[in-house]
Amino acid sequence: MNDIILEMKGMEIAFPGVKALDKVDFTLLKGEVHALLGENGAGKSTLIKCLTGVHRMDAGTILLEAKPIRPSNTQEAQRLGISTVYQEVNLCPNLTVAENIFIGRQPMKRGRIDWKTMNKRASELMGLMGMDVDVTRTLGTCSIAIQQMASIARAVDVNAKVLILDEPTSSLDENEVQHLFRVMNDLKQRGLGIVFITHFLDQVFAISDRLTVLRNGKLVGQFETSKINKLELVTSMIGKDINVIYSLKKAQPKEDAPQVLEVDNIGIPAKVEDISFDVKKGELVGFAGLLGSGRTETAEMLFGVTHPTKGEITVHGKRVQLKAPLDAILQKMAFCPEDRKRDGIIGDLSVRENITLAVQATRGFLHPMKRKEQEELADKYIRILSISTPDAEKRVGELSGGNQQKVILARWLATQPDLLILDEPTRGIDVGAKAEIQRLMLEMCEEGKSVIFISSELDEIIRCSNRIIVMRDMSKAAELDGDTQQAEILKIIASEDEKEVSA
Amino acid sequence: MKRKLAGNAFLKSKLFWAIVAEFLILLVGFILRPDFLSIQLRTLADGTRVLYGTPIDIFNRSAEITLIAMGMTLVIALGGTDISVGALVAVAGAIALKFLRWDVLIYNTPGDYTVKPYFYAIAVPLIVCALMGLFNGSLIAKLKIQPIIATLILMVGGRGIAQIITNGKQFTTQYSPFKFIGNGSILGIPFPIIITLVVVVAVMVFVRKTSFGMFVESVGINPSASRLSGLKSGTIIMIVYTLTGFLSGISGLIYSSRISSNDSNNAGLGYEMDAILAVVIGGTSMTGGKFSLFGTVVGSLIIRTITTLVMYFGVVSEAIMAFKALIIAVVIVLQSEPVRNAIAKRRERRHLNIGGEMHA
Amino acid sequence: MLSVGTSGGVQRKKLFDRLTKPDYLMVYATIGIFILIYAFGAILYGHKGFTSLRTFMLLFSDNAYIGISAVGMTMVLITGGIDLSVGAVASLTGMIIAYGTSVMGLHPLVCISIALLVGVSLGALMGACIQYLNVPAFVTTLTGMFFARGVCSLISRDSISIKHDMIDSLAGFKLYFKWPNELGEWVKIKPVASVDLNTIMFVVMIIIGAVILQKTRFGRNVYAIGGSAQSANLMGLPVGRTRVMVYAFNGLCSALAGISYVLYVKSGWNLALMGSELDVISSCVIGGVMLSGGVGYMVGTLMGVLLKATIPAIITFNGAMNSWWAKIFTGLLLLLFIVIQRLVVSATARRKNK
Repeated sequence: MNDIILEMKGMEIAFPGVKALDKVDFTLLKGEVHALLGENGAGKSTLIKCLTGVHRMDAGTILLEAKPIRPSNTQEAQRLGISTVYQEVNLCPNLTVAENIFIGRQPMKRGRIDWKTMNKRASELMGLMGMDVDVTRTLGTCSIAIQQMASIARAVDVNAKVLILDEPTSSLDENEVQHLFRVMNDLKQRGLGIVFITHFLDQVFAISDRLTVLRNGKLVGQFETSKINKLELVTSMIGKDINVIYSLKKAQPKEDAPQVLEVDNIGIPAKVEDISFDVKKGELVGFAGLLGSGRTETAEMLFGVTHPTKGEITVHGKRVQLKAPLDAILQKMAFCPEDRKRDGIIGDLSVRENITLAVQATRGFLHPMKRKEQEELADKYIRILSISTPDAEKRVGELSGGNQQKVILARWLATQPDLLILDEPTRGIDVGAKAEIQRLMLEMCEEGKSVIFISSELDEIIRCSNRIIVMRDMSKAAELDGDTQQAEILKIIASEDEKEVSA
Repeated sequence: MKRKLAGNAFLKSKLFWAIVAEFLILLVGFILRPDFLSIQLRTLADGTRVLYGTPIDIFNRSAEITLIAMGMTLVIALGGTDISVGALVAVAGAIALKFLRWDVLIYNTPGDYTVKPYFYAIAVPLIVCALMGLFNGSLIAKLKIQPIIATLILMVGGRGIAQIITNGKQFTTQYSPFKFIGNGSILGIPFPIIITLVVVVAVMVFVRKTSFGMFVESVGINPSASRLSGLKSGTIIMIVYTLTGFLSGISGLIYSSRISSNDSNNAGLGYEMDAILAVVIGGTSMTGGKFSLFGTVVGSLIIRTITTLVMYFGVVSEAIMAFKALIIAVVIVLQSEPVRNAIAKRRERRHLNIGGEMHA
Repeated sequence: MLSVGTSGGVQRKKLFDRLTKPDYLMVYATIGIFILIYAFGAILYGHKGFTSLRTFMLLFSDNAYIGISAVGMTMVLITGGIDLSVGAVASLTGMIIAYGTSVMGLHPLVCISIALLVGVSLGALMGACIQYLNVPAFVTTLTGMFFARGVCSLISRDSISIKHDMIDSLAGFKLYFKWPNELGEWVKIKPVASVDLNTIMFVVMIIIGAVILQKTRFGRNVYAIGGSAQSANLMGLPVGRTRVMVYAFNGLCSALAGISYVLYVKSGWNLALMGSELDVISSCVIGGVMLSGGVGYMVGTLMGVLLKATIPAIITFNGAMNSWWAKIFTGLLLLLFIVIQRLVVSATARRKNK
C-alpha cells in the first residue's frame, strides 16, 4: 500500500525487571490522525521513544515510506522527517517565538542574521495556523497554546512527514483545543501523518481517524475510531486484567468502625475541586479514574504536598493543618507516590537506610535508632514483604522495580501508619509482585489499618476495594459500593455529562 | 562471606585509592630523602618538648584545610558548594585580633590584657562566622539561590568586612594563650593537630551517630523523595552551612594564631579551592549524595603531603598549584560520568551474571 | 482566532512591548542604579572633578582588563556555565609576554601570538572536558585555574618588568579629546582626557561580543543552550560544538585581558590578577546576566563593569574612607542584584501562568 507512511512491526524492548514493549505493531497512514492510547506505563512513550531514537529497541523494524530506518537520536529522526511536539514544550523559553521556529536555520543577510525577514516569515507561518501573534515576544511569556503552535510550526517548516503530538492538549483550554484541531485537520490535508497521544477520550473521538490501544506493553488492538464506542475503548484500556493469579478476600471492616479520615470539600481552584469522602478503620477505599482525573492531586493534598485552599481534613476526629509531608506522617499517614524513581527511592542509599528513613524523620536526627534496631527493622520488613535482596546493605538503586516498590512500602509500614495512601503501587512491576502487593494491602486492612488505593487498573480496584471513588475531570464523579460491576464504573468514566451520574 | 564482599567493595572504593595514593607519595618522599619520614622529640629553648619531623608537620599544617573540608564535605554531599570559607577565615582573624588589641583600638594605649578579651577573642569570631554561614544557608534554603552565587556574596564582601573590622590595620599580638592555639603543643603534639582531631571526631560522631549524615545524603541524592519521606531539607541545609561557617571560624583562629596577627588580604586565600579539592579526592562526588568524612581527611593530607614534598625539593610553593591541578584532573576524569558509566556497565554485567546464578 | 500581544499595526505598542521585555528589566536596573550612584558621586565630589570626562574615561581604561574578560564570561554564563580560570589565564598571558620579551628576547608579537594560542587552547580543552566528560564547569575551570597559576609560578616567581619599544608605544598610545579654543585651534581639553588602547580594546570587544550574540547563528545557539540545553539538542542545534567554542572564545578573551593588563602595568607577575575572576563574574551578574543561563546582554555587562568600577572611584574621591568599603558595597550590590533576579524570575513565571 502506498499511503502507509510509517510502519512499526514487532517492536520489543525490555528494561530491568519489566518488558516495556512486547511485539507491538503500529501503522500510520498518510493524511490521518492516529490516536495512541493507553494508561501510564502501557508503553506509549516507550514506543514513541523507539521511533525518535531515544531508546534502542531490542527487536522490531521501523519502515518510513517503505524504507527501513533506525534513527539513533532525535536529530536523525528529525532529518528523516519525524518531528515530535512534547507535552512540556521542548523549546527555549528565553528566545522569541520567531527564533524558536527558525533557530539553526535563520535567514541570513550579508553574514548576519536577518531578523526582519525571520520575524516576517515567522509571522506568516503562525498566521497560516490562524495565530495572530507578536512573534518577537519571548516564548516563555506566551501561553502554552502559542508555545505548542510555535513548536508545530517549527516541525512543519522542517518538512516533517510524521508529526507526533505527545499530550498536546493537557494544558489547553477548550478554545485552544478547538484551534489545535483545526490546525491538525489542515496539516492532515497537506498529507502529514499525525500521531496523537492523549488521555482525553472525547478528543480522540473528535479528531482521530484510527486509534491504537496499548496495555502493559502489549498491543490491545487497532481500531477505526468511527467503529468503536467510548465504553469499548475504556474497557480495552483499563478493563479486564488477564493476569489474575491469586484469588483475594476483601477486607471486612466492622460496621461500627471509627472514621480514620474525613475529607470535607477540599480543593485548589483550577486544579482539583470539592473532594469529599471518608475512610473507616480497616477499610480499603479504591480511587478509580483515568490518568489526570485528579486522583494523584487528591492524594497530594491529603499528604501535605500541596495545600488545599478550602475545605477541611479531619484525622481521627481532629481537624488538621498539613503544611508539609512530615505533618501528615505525624498524623500516622503514609504515601507511596506514583513516580517511584523521582519521589520514592533514594537510589544511592542502602535498603536499610531507605526503610528506616521515614521513621527516623519522625524522630528527628538527634534521636537516632540504634544500628541494631535499624537492622532488625530492615530485616523484619525484608522478611515480611519478601524483598529479594542479598542483604539490607544493598543499594536500593540496584534492585528491580517490584523490590524497590516493596522497599518504599516497607518504609511506610515501619512508621506504623493508620492510613496508607498508595498511588499506582503496582504499575510497571511484574505480575507476581503485583499480586503480592495487593495481598499485602488487604492484610494491612485486616490488621486494622486503612488504605486508599489509587490505580488505573479497574480489575484490581474492584478486587480489593470496600468502596470505590470514581474521579473524572479533576473532581469526584461517584462513590460506589465495592461490589460494583466493572461496566458500571466504565460507564461513569466514559460518561459525557458528569452531572447525570454524580447523583 | 559478607565480610569478604565488604572487603572487595573497599578495594574498589575511591577512598581506598586515596589512601594508596597518600602512601605512594610518602614513599616517593622517603626514597628521595630518607629523613622525610623521621619523627624526633626536640626540646625547645623554653624547655617544652615537641614532636618534630615532616609527618608531624603535614598533620599540623593540614589542620586549617581539614577543618573547613569537614563542613565542605557535607555541603558538597547536599549538592552545593561554599566558596565563602576563605573570606570567613579572614573575618575570624580580624575579629580575634580586634578583641586582643582592644587596648590599642579603643583606648589608644597599649595596656594589660585581661582574661575577658581572650574569651571574646575566641567566642565572637566563631559566633560571627557561624552566623555568616547561616546567612549563606538561608539564601540557599529560603530564597532558593544557587549555592555558588549565594556564597559568592560573602566571598566578595567578606574580606571587606574583615578589613573594616580592624580599620584596615594589621595587628600583632604577643598574648601567649592566643599564640598557643596555633603554635603550642600538649604532650609534644602540636595543638592544631589536637584541635583537628577533636573536631573531626566530633563531626563524625555528630554525623554518623545521629541520623544527620543519612539525612544529608538523602537530600543530596533525591530532594523530592526526601521531602515526601518527611525530611525538612531547609533545616538540614541551614545547619550544614552554619557548621561550615563555624569550622571556617576555627580555621581562622588557628591561622591568625600561627602568624600572631590578622591578615585580611591573605588569610584563607584559596582555602575554598583546597577544601573542595580535599573533598573530591576523598571520594565524595561533586554531584552530591554519599560522602566520606574520613576520605576528606585523607584528601586534605594528600594535598598537604604533595605541597610538603614539592617544597622539600625546592619547587616554589606557588607552582604547587600546577601539580595539584594535574592530580585533580586525573581524579575528575576518573569520576566523570562517561568513565563511571563505563565502569558501572562492567559491574552491571558482572552483577547480572551473579543474579543469573542466584535464580538458577 | 487566537491573538496575543498586538493585533493590527499598533506600532507604538509593539515598540513598547519590545522595550518592556522582562529580559531587559535587569539591564534597566543596572543602568538605573549606575545613574543613581554616578549622580550620588557627582553631588558629593563634583567639585573635585568626579564628573569630568577624564574621570569617566578612567572608568574604562582602568577596568579594561575586567571588561574584556567579562565579554567572554558573559557568553559562558549565558550557556549556564561558569569559568573560574579567567584571572589565572590572563596572568599566564602576562607571564608569557614578560618572560618571552624580557628573558628570552623574543619579539612581543610572537609572544602575544603564543599567549593567545595558549588561552584559546586551554579554553577549548576545558570546554571539551565540560561537554564530553560531563564534569561540572565549576570543577573543571577551578582545575584550569590551579594549572594556569602553577605554570605562571613555574615560569617565574618574581615580577618581570617589560622593556620593549613596541610594548611601550602600545601602552603609551593615546587619543586626546580636543576642542577648539577662541582662536579656532584644536587643543586638549582640561583636565586632559584621552582614549588609550585598552579602552579601545574594551569597547571593540564589547561590540564584537554583542554582534556575535545578536547577529550570528552561533550567538543564538549560545542563548538556546542556556535556555534549555535539552531542547537545543532536540531542535538539532550543535550543542557540543557551541559549548566548546564558547569556552575557547572565553579563553581568547582571558588572553586579551592579560594583554590589556600587561599594557596597563608593563610587567608580568605570577600572582597578578588574583581573585579577578570574582570581579569579572560579579560585573556580569550586576550587569544582569543570569547565572542560571539563557539571559544576558553585552550592554548590560558593559554597564555592570562601569557600575562596579564607580564604587571604588567614589571611595577614592572620598579619600577618608577605607578602600575596603568597595568590597563590602560590591557584596551588597551583588546581593541586591541576585534578589532582583529572583524577583524577575518569579514575576516572569507569574506572567506566564496568567
